[in-house]
Amino acid sequence: MLKRFTLPLVLLLLGYALWASSDFMGIAAGVALFMFGMLCLEEGFKTFTGGTLETLLRKSTDRLWKSLTFGMLSTTAMQSSSLVSLITVSFVSAEMITLAAGIGIIMGANIGTTTGAWLIAGLGLKVDIAAYAMPGLIFGMVLIMQKSKALKGFGNLLLGFAFLFLGIHYMKEGFDAFQGNFDLSAYALPGFLGLVVYTLIGMLITVIMQSSHASLLIIITALSAGQVNYENALALAIGANLGSTVTIILGAFASNLGGKRLAASHVLFNVLTATVAIAFIGQLAWLVDRGAFLLGIGDQDYLLKLALFHSLFNVLGVCLLAPFVKPLSNLLVTRITYQKKSAEVPQYLYPEALETPETAVNAVRKEVKHLFDNAYGLLAHGVSLKRSVIDSKASLSEEVKYTRKIFPVDVDDYYEEKIKSLHSDIVDFIAKAQAGESTQSASEDLYILRQASRNLVEAVKGMKHLHKNLSRHGLSGNPAIRERYDLIRLQLARLLRELRQLLQANPEDVTALSLDALRVSLEKSSRQLIDDLDEMIRHRRIEARVATSIMNDESYVSDISRNLIDAVHTLLLPKLEDNSDQLTLDRQEIRQLVDDEAKETGVEP
Amino acid sequence: MKLKKLMASLNEFLDADRKTQFKEINSIRKVLKELKKKERKLKGELQKLSAKQEEEKDELQIKLDVIYAQRKKGLERVKELKKELQKN
Repeated sequence: MLKRFTLPLVLLLLGYALWASSDFMGIAAGVALFMFGMLCLEEGFKTFTGGTLETLLRKSTDRLWKSLTFGMLSTTAMQSSSLVSLITVSFVSAEMITLAAGIGIIMGANIGTTTGAWLIAGLGLKVDIAAYAMPGLIFGMVLIMQKSKALKGFGNLLLGFAFLFLGIHYMKEGFDAFQGNFDLSAYALPGFLGLVVYTLIGMLITVIMQSSHASLLIIITALSAGQVNYENALALAIGANLGSTVTIILGAFASNLGGKRLAASHVLFNVLTATVAIAFIGQLAWLVDRGAFLLGIGDQDYLLKLALFHSLFNVLGVCLLAPFVKPLSNLLVTRITYQKKSAEVPQYLYPEALETPETAVNAVRKEVKHLFDNAYGLLAHGVSLKRSVIDSKASLSEEVKYTRKIFPVDVDDYYEEKIKSLHSDIVDFIAKAQAGESTQSASEDLYILRQASRNLVEAVKGMKHLHKNLSRHGLSGNPAIRERYDLIRLQLARLLRELRQLLQANPEDVTALSLDALRVSLEKSSRQLIDDLDEMIRHRRIEARVATSIMNDESYVSDISRNLIDAVHTLLLPKLEDNSDQLTLDRQEIRQLVDDEAKETGVEP
Repeated sequence: MKLKKLMASLNEFLDADRKTQFKEINSIRKVLKELKKKERKLKGELQKLSAKQEEEKDELQIKLDVIYAQRKKGLERVKELKKELQKN
């Protein structure tokens, strides 16, 4: 109810404020332009994500100093620590980088974000920054209208920087004009109370604007215009740092365990840094004065001194926590773990179904089908395709080929929630059914249904291993590796589509024989993949180390596929004719068929 | 009298065996017919595909090869059963 009225109320208040004060309009327009610039930057950087970025990311975060530098440089380039933090959450969630590397990046990002303060304090308020924005706007717009994705991305980056500069310019003008009408400095609070109150205000501003950068800009411009005094500005800067954690907390809500752990580390880091900064504010101010003297910053140049303070207290935080990254990462892994929230509830296993052996078998069969649906959802996401895509008639090879992102799936979470609990319920129900009155045929049916349920569990377990490597190499910059992983994903996606269609088909159209074609297909693609790999290793197109990963993954896919086919075979049994099972091909015959075809096409079997 | 009774029950048993064998042959023939129908349908689909649709063609060809192998297996089984019937 409250949510429904929040937006209209905010819009109404803003409208009134804009109408009442033209100076406020300038500041608000500046903030809007600044944030729009950040959106453009984000859009621009998104264009350049993909295989190359991922490879670069992994290589540049395998040591603490590397991940720190990476966080620092990327935040300096993007001018948004929130953006870098959010992207890092998604990388950790996707298991593309480790939690420790993620913590390193976040720490680096906190130092990188201080470059913004230097930029604004050093350049923004002295140079006519809007003049630099104009060419950026023009070139950016020309580039954005091009067809090439890379040029469009570059155009977005240029526009982003241009709008950032323009935003700074408008805010500066707004505050300059504001100064004449109203004196905020009259509300300055000295001492510890001022420190706490202004820290909270800084935090609030950042939470509202979702950007510590924008808050810093406001703080620096307000300081330059004399709206706040130096001591209160320091507290506002500490608050801005704290406020930036809210963005990452919001981002972590939508992510899995990895993301939540990283968000927790970010909160811990920022709270610790802020506490130390507040506790030792006197010493820090002294350090800033000494540093300013050494750097040749004037005694009254509070803008640069604020930037220096911002840098110093963030570096201090990194120095304090850097030696504990590994233990912290281990602690978070053990503390923040999976909690059974809403385990999947069985849909058909009611006590009434235990009344007769037939109803029990029927209920279990339906429940195993339910389990199959859950496994299907996970496996589809595991190969980074939506269920709707696999259910549709869209070309799977096209969908796989144009995948730009490996879905971050927490297989462990999903397994616990949707698969394991349901499997346990099925096993428990079967045990109860067998303990009661049962016929021989019902006992046999229940036995193979339990096996089918187990097959589905095994298939999901296979995805646990496969997904790790898919996240690592699925969008590899090396076309040979990407091609192999595309094939692996395609193979599984096709199988899922076929099995789904078989389960939904009319009983007259279905025979157990339909599954043989899938088994042959599987054997054929598996051999093809191994042959291709051998050739690639011989011609040194891929490293043997990666080739073994692909071989392992191929074996996971074979296991997953075999388990799925067996499970679906069991689910199809009531639809099948009595003697069609006699004609199904055994393993030897399937191999023979593939060998014969290989001979026909001139390939050595 | 005892021998007569024994012979009668033996005859009945053998007849029962023949009955089930007949039943099996008929049932396999039914499946073979279905497979033949499916084979024709798939061949029709294969012809409709253009040269560019290589992947789809490959998939259909695998299905056709499998059906061929299954029919071969079915026919052999029918032959076997017939032989057994003749022996009896």
